[in-house]
Amino acid sequence: MADEVIQQTPEATPAQPPNEGTQREGFAWAIGIAGWLLPGLGHALQRMWGRAVVVFLAVGLLVVAGATMRGNVFSSNGGDAFDTLGYVADLGTGSFYLAARALERDGADVSHADGDYGTRFLATAGVLNLLAALHAYEAARGRKA
Amino acid sequence: MIATNGFALTHFQAFLLFAAVISIAFGFLGRRRPKDRIKYILWSFFLFLVVGIGIAWAMYPFSR
Repeated sequence: MADEVIQQTPEATPAQPPNEGTQREGFAWAIGIAGWLLPGLGHALQRMWGRAVVVFLAVGLLVVAGATMRGNVFSSNGGDAFDTLGYVADLGTGSFYLAARALERDGADVSHADGDYGTRFLATAGVLNLLAALHAYEAARGRKA
Repeated sequence: MIATNGFALTHFQAFLLFAAVISIAFGFLGRRRPKDRIKYILWSFFLFLVVGIGIAWAMYPFSR
């Protein structure tokens, strides 16, 4: 008696053009970068209007509050690792980083609690925008969002 | 609220502003349905307050 060999056939997968995945990935990257450059744009391009408006306003409010409270807007010529980390976080706001620098004409003043809070607000705005850009990227890839 | 040197907030006002903005952003990013978003925002805001005030009280003996 011959052993029975059960062969499993691979499940049928929907046929898709070979370039579709690459195109979708490229589109997702473009959405993510757009969302980073202008907070909320990544969601707006996918017609997620509520999320786009909230991200734009949240990041914008934190940047304006942080800069006018004279928080530290870090630059690329930081002295230590914490300055570099702060610079990376501030850069997360994309184009709003330039707005923060323009708003803070008198420079940072972290000798008072306001300036210290301002620094945190600016860094939070950057990290929040990076999170939102990642969310937009994942949504563009078709992940549940 | 606007002082001569910019936007001046008390510690508690800055804390409330931070908690409100982040809670709203998280609620919109993390949930889809309006009802779920409102629940998430309120819960997140409440937890920000509880944890923030709790940490403030825990640090109070070392504050001076």
